[in-house]
Amino acid sequence: MQCELLYQPVSTMAQIRLNAGEQFLVEPGAMIGMSANMDMRTGLASSNQGGGGLLGKLATAAGRMLTGESFFQNTYTAQNGPGELLLAHTLPGDMAMLEVGQQGLKLQSTAFVASTTGVNIQAEFGGAKTFFASEGLFLISATAQRAGEHLLVGAFGGIQEFQCDGSLVIDTGHLVAWDANLSFNVTKAAGGWISSYLSGEGLVCKFNGQGRIWMQTRNPQEYGTLIGSLLPPRTN
Amino acid sequence: MNHQITHDPAFSMLRVDLQPGEVFVSEAGAMAAMSSHVELEAKLTVQQNPGIGTTLGALFAAVIRKYLGGESFFVTHYSTPYPASVWVAPTVSGSIVHRRLEGGQTITLSAGAYVASAGNIECIVKYGGLRGILAKEGAFFLKCIGNGGDLWFNSFGGVDFIDVDGTYVVDNGHIVGWEGDLEFDIKTAGGGFMGFFASGEGLVCEFKGRGRLYIQSRNLGSMTGWLLPLMP
Repeated sequence: MQCELLYQPVSTMAQIRLNAGEQFLVEPGAMIGMSANMDMRTGLASSNQGGGGLLGKLATAAGRMLTGESFFQNTYTAQNGPGELLLAHTLPGDMAMLEVGQQGLKLQSTAFVASTTGVNIQAEFGGAKTFFASEGLFLISATAQRAGEHLLVGAFGGIQEFQCDGSLVIDTGHLVAWDANLSFNVTKAAGGWISSYLSGEGLVCKFNGQGRIWMQTRNPQEYGTLIGSLLPPRTN
Repeated sequence: MNHQITHDPAFSMLRVDLQPGEVFVSEAGAMAAMSSHVELEAKLTVQQNPGIGTTLGALFAAVIRKYLGGESFFVTHYSTPYPASVWVAPTVSGSIVHRRLEGGQTITLSAGAYVASAGNIECIVKYGGLRGILAKEGAFFLKCIGNGGDLWFNSFGGVDFIDVDGTYVVDNGHIVGWEGDLEFDIKTAGGGFMGFFASGEGLVCEFKGRGRLYIQSRNLGSMTGWLLPLMP
């Protein structure tokens, strides 16, 4: 698999080149173009995981739905030679291809776009406090058995990579992904609840440890709320 | 105060490096990331120790602003016991512009253009009246006076500046801010009756005087106006 990101950072599109027989897992709706020899199969979002039987697969797929991602996932296979896939996400912004690595990655639920077939995607309860944040109750936990497995993420705005060295605070609406070995807790931004609320920050994610964090320079929820306030109320 | 603006022009983000004793102020809700020991405080005014008059004035303006302009009531003050960084990002896509203000230099910003400030900057809410509403910039403007301070403001889209000497015309909805002794009036773009109704320009703002004018390449009102008929 080779990936080239085009039209960064505003209207990013990922051009994925696959060798003959190679497969790629894609979130439904993210494919915007492909070579004619690509074969698409729609399966449960857990179909890349061996074992577990149908019930286990259904449970994993249902778990993924909780993250706001799709129940289903599309598997693309390059047949009779190399193939090409063009992928994009909905909002204007940058994309990044991240290596899952030994430690695994955690993702804010809507950031996932696609992955290589060796990546295990699971819904994870993010703790009761994330319930109050705009990102929902669940996050995505991505793990891989071996090196070289990748994940394509999509962001709203630019992507900024941070090296967390000790501790760092990120607004929950700006989170994209982070190394799974970082510990985190969702907490209030200021010392007191009142000041946190009035400062407009509400809840933030406080990371501890050594690892990388990727954030997006715009907050989708905040943007949607602003635009929504300028539009008339829904009538139905 | 060290600062850096990244991801310009579409998705600009501001980073400031904060030293103990320094105070950095941003619009409410703009914090994207920060060192974990930074302390946040919600306040009504950009000034650190405003007099009671200023506070009451700010409260009054904030209440009116909240109901007329939809803008936030509060600003966030950041301070730190150890060197730290704060990253701030506006809501809409577009640029962030930095301006150092010395010796009483003044910038008047449209509602919503203020991102952050540091040092000796005083911000006063000015009622723009009918002019402001017709200019589609909201009923209020923010007058920022600096005596050795930094001001950051944002635009929807790219930001351009024009050094006006005489008169200059800007479409309403595209004003970010202006400096110096510039004043503006609302008028039609010209072309008489047809010009007013059919040119798509409608009303414009004519600036007079000398000073720098900041305009934005996109207009939130136009964009939502475009979205409106597409809604079910």
